[in-house]
Amino acid sequence: MKQNRRTFVRAAAAAAAVPVIPSAQAQDAKLIKLGMCQDFTVVYTFVTAEYSQGQRDYFTMINERGGIKGFKFQLDIVDTGNATQRGIEAYERFKREGVVLVDPLSTPVSRALVPRALADKINLVTTFSGRSDAADGEAFPYVMPLSPSYWSQAAVLVDYMRKQEKGLKGKKVALVHIDTPFGREPITLLQVLAKRHDFEFQTFPYPPPGTEQSAVWTQVRRLKPDWVMIWGAGAGQIASLKEAARNGIPMDRIASVVWMSESEMNVVGVDAAKGVLKFEGVAGGREPKIIQAIQNEVVAKGKGVGKPEIVGTTYYNIGVMAAALIAEGARLAIDKNPKGPITSEQLNEGLRSIKNFTAEGMLPPVTITKADHQGGGRGRVAQWDGKRWVPKSDWMAADQDVIWQMIRTSSSDFKKSGK
Amino acid sequence: MFYRRAGLRHTRYTQDRQLWPLPFDRFLLGLAIVLLVLAPAFLPSLYIGTYLMPWLLWTTATLGLNLLMGVAGQVHLGYGAVMAIGAYGALHATRSGVPFEFALLIGGLLSAAIGVVFGAAALRVKGLYLAISTLAMQYLVDYVIIHVPAISGGTQATLSAPPVRLLGFALTGDSAYYWFALAMCGLVTMFMLNVRRTSYGRALAAVREKDFAAEIIGVSTFRYKLSVFWVSSFIGGVAGTLFAFCYYKAVTPEQFHLELSIQMLATVIVGGMGSVLGSYFGAALILLAPVVLNNGLAGLAKGLSIPINADIAAHAPLVLYGGLIVGFLLFEPLGLAKIYANLRNYFLVWPFRHARR
Repeated sequence: MKQNRRTFVRAAAAAAAVPVIPSAQAQDAKLIKLGMCQDFTVVYTFVTAEYSQGQRDYFTMINERGGIKGFKFQLDIVDTGNATQRGIEAYERFKREGVVLVDPLSTPVSRALVPRALADKINLVTTFSGRSDAADGEAFPYVMPLSPSYWSQAAVLVDYMRKQEKGLKGKKVALVHIDTPFGREPITLLQVLAKRHDFEFQTFPYPPPGTEQSAVWTQVRRLKPDWVMIWGAGAGQIASLKEAARNGIPMDRIASVVWMSESEMNVVGVDAAKGVLKFEGVAGGREPKIIQAIQNEVVAKGKGVGKPEIVGTTYYNIGVMAAALIAEGARLAIDKNPKGPITSEQLNEGLRSIKNFTAEGMLPPVTITKADHQGGGRGRVAQWDGKRWVPKSDWMAADQDVIWQMIRTSSSDFKKSGK
Repeated sequence: MFYRRAGLRHTRYTQDRQLWPLPFDRFLLGLAIVLLVLAPAFLPSLYIGTYLMPWLLWTTATLGLNLLMGVAGQVHLGYGAVMAIGAYGALHATRSGVPFEFALLIGGLLSAAIGVVFGAAALRVKGLYLAISTLAMQYLVDYVIIHVPAISGGTQATLSAPPVRLLGFALTGDSAYYWFALAMCGLVTMFMLNVRRTSYGRALAAVREKDFAAEIIGVSTFRYKLSVFWVSSFIGGVAGTLFAFCYYKAVTPEQFHLELSIQMLATVIVGGMGSVLGSYFGAALILLAPVVLNNGLAGLAKGLSIPINADIAAHAPLVLYGGLIVGFLLFEPLGLAKIYANLRNYFLVWPFRHARR
């Protein structure tokens, strides 16, 4: 398009009018609008960038294939800087524009959006973030974690340790975590599991943002733990691994929450971090069929967004997983309403009837029901071998009985509150 | 021309001392009030609920901090914590059955009581040292909230705010909440406008200019420093309560972190220390500029059909935002209120360039 002063002025006027004049857009019956108000600039930064790249590439692939029975997806991407009020603004604007699903990928923003999403009946996707108790679909009908909660992740890690040790009796497990609600979340569950499996459990909080942990790790060394779990994100994870190495704690005894990827390994040193374990909710690497398809149909044709070498990294694949689950939910909704437009309620219905979905082998079989929004809580343990993450176990879920007890306690508290 | 001053003769002290002696100022004020009150009639609820209301709430909080910083000259780096105390206090009060009107007061009083304890540091230290001791308040309050599940609301650390019932009426819809926020903001604004004309305000000004000089002329710095922390924290607590009930509706500790305290501090400085109007301008710039810039830039890219990289789309508004803040402060270090005052002074004598002011 040729640009002269007139088009510029027009565009500038349009831009100035965007925040003021309500946009009256014609609803396309076969367009499904998704709102991605995520944090690209403050806390989640590269996590969001890679996650969002995966989501966008996946939906590009679907749209390039002609959509799902003619239905196409449109993604609105907005930066929130992890600020609640900016998340709320983006959410309310999405609502006006007819968005049927919002994905904030931020614990504080999603927590603040929960009451609004429930009241407005807009699907709120909280993959690997947000409230763990949103797994209770009866209390949170429109909040969709679609992924193993932090409690399920901790349980899988403990289960792996138990199998390695053939029983954890008398063993010492340390939890080194960031001192925020997110970091403290697994504590209650681990206390219960410590009683159940008879191991000694101790917590070691470090203050946010987590870049300074030296004092904590000397204490960890003094305990001589058999296993260490690290619970943080971004810079905190990197500092944890560096301090662990400095204090002589063997890497293959350290197990991490899901937030650990190739990017962190590159900072810690790919060889220095060899052996570290992490929870994995989705297969990494470029081997999964879906990732190969994206490579061939999107990236190879120059339609991908972002750097091509990101394709197949942990957070990219998590983004693909979220997108694939959303698309599967939409497919089920479209099957029921082939004429469209797909409303938020219909998409919700679709998402809550996903059954044994594996995204062509990239995920453990995920079944989401009206009662269970977590999808089974299955995951596996993967180990860093210096080059890539190698799965060390099968897809499994552990101690879901305790977890569901905790989910129900917490969600019934939620139901009682706010009245 | 606009500000016609010819023929205005104030023959009584009350006339001379009124807040807005010029009719044109009164007209502007009236216009602003009418527009704000009628806003829900001509603006879609998106702009009421997510632009105007948070702006008013942020302004209310800024006014409270401005009393402390601008009027009494005491720095506070933990104002977010003050607001958090109010929000959590009021939330727990309503959850145990206290009516909202009283919960609002409880929130304010709780903030005031705890704020004044930390304000006691101001009796011994000032300037940067006071900033650091109030920063300690921020960290202590954050720590307590996160570590006491009874306060933060269990493992998920989220408390939902019940819908507000005011004097027997339930507030429903964005407009009702907006009007309520507007009324509260108006109340605090009236207090701030008038406090400087009282002996209390003059005593605070004396403390601000030189505390030991104030002591020499008979102004008890002990009393006034503590009382200004009390009053300012009370306003902060009320503002925090309004944040929780009118806007967020679900309270998590992150909402009142250090970032909010710094945002508040920036709002006061960018708006203009001690200026009531400046608090409105500052809150508008600091709170709304990132959102407006973000949407505006995205709209511009779309209008010109430039395929804009998501990375740039996310970071460019931040660069502009920083540039705006630095630019305004370079252009006028006394803040946005001073820019307005300069404009007003220009128009006071317009179309003439020079006149006795």
